[in-house]
Amino acid sequence: MIWLAIITAPLLAAALLMFRASRAWAIRFVIPLSTAPALVVALFASDDLQAQLDWLLLGTHFGFGEWGRVMLLLTALLWTTAGVYASSYVSDARRVRFFIFFALSACGNLGIAVSQDLASFYLFFALMTFSAYGLIVHNGDPEAYRAGRIYLVAAVFGEVLLLAALVLLATEMEALVIADARAAAAQSSLRDVIMACAFLGFGVKAGAALVHFWLPLAHPVAPTPASAVLSGAMIKAGLLGWLHFLPLGEMAHGAWAAVLLGAGGLAAFGAAAIGLAQRDAKTVLAYSSVSQMGVITAALGIAFIDPSAWPLIAPAVAALALNHALAKGALFLGVGIAQRASQAFARKAVLGALTLATLTIAGAPWTAGALAKHALKSASSSLDSAPALAFALSLSSIATAALLVHFLARIAREPAEESSLRRGLLTPWLLLTAAAALLAPLAAWVVPSGLEIRELHTWSALWPVATGAAVYAAGSYALHGRRMQIPPGDVVVLLEGFVRRAAILLGKVPVLRPAAWQIDLVHYMEALAASEARRDFSRRADLRFMRWSNAGLAFACMVLVFAATMLI
Amino acid sequence: MTWADGLPILIIAVSALTGIVIFMLPEEWHGARSSLNLGAATLKLLLVLYALTEVLAGAEFETRVAIGLGFDFVLRVDELSLLFLGLSSALWLVTTIYAIGYLEGSEHRSRFFGFFSLCVTATAGIALAGNLISFFIFYELLTLVTYPLVVHRQTQAALDAGRTYLWYTVSGGTVLFVGVVWLHVVAGSIDFVHTGGLSDVAAGRETELTIVFAVLIAGLGVKAALVPLHGWLPVAMIAPAPVSALLHAVAVVKAGAFGIVRVVYDVYGLELAAALGVLGPLAGIAALTIIYGSLRALVQDDLKKRLAYSTVSQISYITLGVAMFGVTATIGGLVHLVHQGLMKITLFLAAGNFSECLGVHKVSEMHGIGRRMPVSMVAFTLGALGMIGFPPLAGFISKWYLAVGGAEAEAYWVVAVLLASTVLNIAYFLPILYVAWFRPAASELRPRADTRLEASGMLLAPPAIAAGAALAAGLFAAAPGSPLDIAQHIATLMYRER
Repeated sequence: MIWLAIITAPLLAAALLMFRASRAWAIRFVIPLSTAPALVVALFASDDLQAQLDWLLLGTHFGFGEWGRVMLLLTALLWTTAGVYASSYVSDARRVRFFIFFALSACGNLGIAVSQDLASFYLFFALMTFSAYGLIVHNGDPEAYRAGRIYLVAAVFGEVLLLAALVLLATEMEALVIADARAAAAQSSLRDVIMACAFLGFGVKAGAALVHFWLPLAHPVAPTPASAVLSGAMIKAGLLGWLHFLPLGEMAHGAWAAVLLGAGGLAAFGAAAIGLAQRDAKTVLAYSSVSQMGVITAALGIAFIDPSAWPLIAPAVAALALNHALAKGALFLGVGIAQRASQAFARKAVLGALTLATLTIAGAPWTAGALAKHALKSASSSLDSAPALAFALSLSSIATAALLVHFLARIAREPAEESSLRRGLLTPWLLLTAAAALLAPLAAWVVPSGLEIRELHTWSALWPVATGAAVYAAGSYALHGRRMQIPPGDVVVLLEGFVRRAAILLGKVPVLRPAAWQIDLVHYMEALAASEARRDFSRRADLRFMRWSNAGLAFACMVLVFAATMLI
Repeated sequence: MTWADGLPILIIAVSALTGIVIFMLPEEWHGARSSLNLGAATLKLLLVLYALTEVLAGAEFETRVAIGLGFDFVLRVDELSLLFLGLSSALWLVTTIYAIGYLEGSEHRSRFFGFFSLCVTATAGIALAGNLISFFIFYELLTLVTYPLVVHRQTQAALDAGRTYLWYTVSGGTVLFVGVVWLHVVAGSIDFVHTGGLSDVAAGRETELTIVFAVLIAGLGVKAALVPLHGWLPVAMIAPAPVSALLHAVAVVKAGAFGIVRVVYDVYGLELAAALGVLGPLAGIAALTIIYGSLRALVQDDLKKRLAYSTVSQISYITLGVAMFGVTATIGGLVHLVHQGLMKITLFLAAGNFSECLGVHKVSEMHGIGRRMPVSMVAFTLGALGMIGFPPLAGFISKWYLAVGGAEAEAYWVVAVLLASTVLNIAYFLPILYVAWFRPAASELRPRADTRLEASGMLLAPPAIAAGAALAAGLFAAAPGSPLDIAQHIATLMYRER
């Protein structure tokens, strides 16, 4: 029951919003607190806490499974802090609608973390995906609606692929439980189709290269607390889908390793490069999310080179995900704080705290980022390509550092819009920043492996970050403020042109004409009824039956036939 | 005649007598008519529930009368008939409540409710018919008693639509009659048996039986709105909202689909149908209809027309499930019989509220309607999401079983068709939800300041109940007694022993 309670708590909060009497205090107290029970469960519940609800949907299983605890932890922490933040931040006329969609997405996102069967996983994933639309378009300006439209197209594309993957998997499975899914995927005769559908389907949410295009548009345009959960927590739902359904650790496969490493590398470096050409601070952060997810994608690729390394890669992936979630959430919330801090001292303090969060993402010494990257390096150390992978990882840290310095520079340059720093905004942001900064000592406790912070070589973590900052400084000096402009969403520009052309083509499809492919019975029958021959025939028949004798004979015959049938 | 023999007759008689008494009541006796309607609908629902518990416990109810020429008139309660009967009697009650509220103050109510009851009588008969000829009798009765409902408003447009409706359904009935008689000549009087009654006489007559199958499907396909025989359905939406709801959810369209279910499972049997090679083409037509209906729905601005084309598409899910060999697909097809009814009636009743309370008939007029009529629009939203196949609504369960069934039969094109249909469903339903919830309201649709309900309770409760049922049918699909549970039980019968 405890599982149902933590998942339905946001739904109950949403229900309170429907009534005028309870609206105000529901937004102030109930919405922020509705995800807190999940946080308690993530921190303190025992590993074997499970539930099997045979009556729900197609038979529902809840539990931590392999990934549930870390996912629930990051999800609940982000939604709770964002919820507190949002109840102070979002105060316009449409706020009731905003909080209803906020609660629905929270329910979906929490459910994803702890659902352990295919049907309910899909339920929560879809709930989260479509409710997030309400968060993205909240501002109601044309830009928000455009981002929302592009988000929906991408989301529908992802959902359909994901449904295809689940359906094909389900034919291979006895019970539809996620614990069996990876093995079933590896053994299926349609393994590559399932993997392709799952990779792209979840990749839309996880910001995989080339299907990432909606993300730099939608994440920044949403109100700041929504950006934080979109980029921190919801993006991890896509990752969780990969972890559940890609046969990681089940098989070695050169081509899939190449696909994942290639897509990951493209995202890690491509998104960093495009992000450097962005002006809006939140857009820079969104590209940084794509870039960080690229690193994680590449880490999954290593598991297809050497499946036996997966037990070591998995905790590194968990640490990367947790670190990125908390720090990125803190950064997004911090953007809203910086916009409201007008005094010189306050601005400096805010910038300092933001720098702290950027350092953990970039993997500076003694941060969880460094810990995770170190774990990833040691997990892949037995491979032939280990030196190349380690070098690529350091390069990605350089790119990350450069991109995040760019973010700090943009923030420092943007003037504060108003001066209204409330405690409701500051407290959750500081909490999240502290959690991100203190993650390294805590990570050894949360992540199920003996990672030791003492193992870290300070220098190997420090030089990429320092180089990245130096490269950015040198580059911006050389360019003198001249910079290339790439529209946010990059490939989306091509896509929009394609969609426009497709819509024109669709308008010309003959099937869409009103009477196409339809047997017009009315036309034929009425033509027949009106034809000379038929009229002539019935007139003659009528004349013949005008004579009483004929009519009487016909009647008698009918009676006889009827009587005969009754007797048989 | 024992009590058990009389139960099928009693179920039919309840609504038939209601209809006859209502015809005789004076027009202005509104209270008496409403009480009679509601009382009869409740009584019938109770009878059906009683039959359901008895049949699930193993009892049999059958009424058999010889009507000459070697034909038997058979009414029998089996699991499949209960699936359809349960749906129709539950939705009859809901729709009656709605219709009383909807037609308040309008003319010809005596005529309307009389034929309304006869329409349900015919539907019950179709559900209970124990062989093809009995089925045919009620099938034709349905055609005749729905005509006055379609033309109820008596405008020129309604009369034109009624004429189209008659041409299609009477022609379809004639073709079906040819098929029924031909089959009688070939095989004699055979009752509906779950594994098919024809298999004993099939040897050496395969060609003939294949042709008869085609004739029967062509006849039934008119009501089931298979492309290219669907032309009447979008026209008939001129009828009043409760009639459209009933027509699309349980009565006419569903009768055609139910006939196809009976012909494939209970006359031919899946084994024989598969051996004759008729399932493939049937699945092909169903797939074509699914895609075509969705494409047409995409370009309609008239809300009821969009819903009508959506029906064309959704009803063929049933046919598609029936036309695939495999338990999972069978479950999907059968359960959609119920699920589609629940979701479609929600959509039509909500659409009726928009037109009745605000005069909104078009999607382009629905800007911001969600805040003006929140209850109706929430119901509509649930119905639309269900049609898309959004979990946990009922449509998701249907779609899941159909797609997994297709994949199990290694008919991967079925999965592709269902996914394509999902995309199209999203493309024609989500824009409605978008304008209703996210666009600023047009001036006449501004939310009202007072706290009165958006419409009378009799107009709000039925769509809310139906939407709740569509949600519950999906959310609690795995619970005992759910439509899915019953469909699973029936599906095992179709494959047992062979």
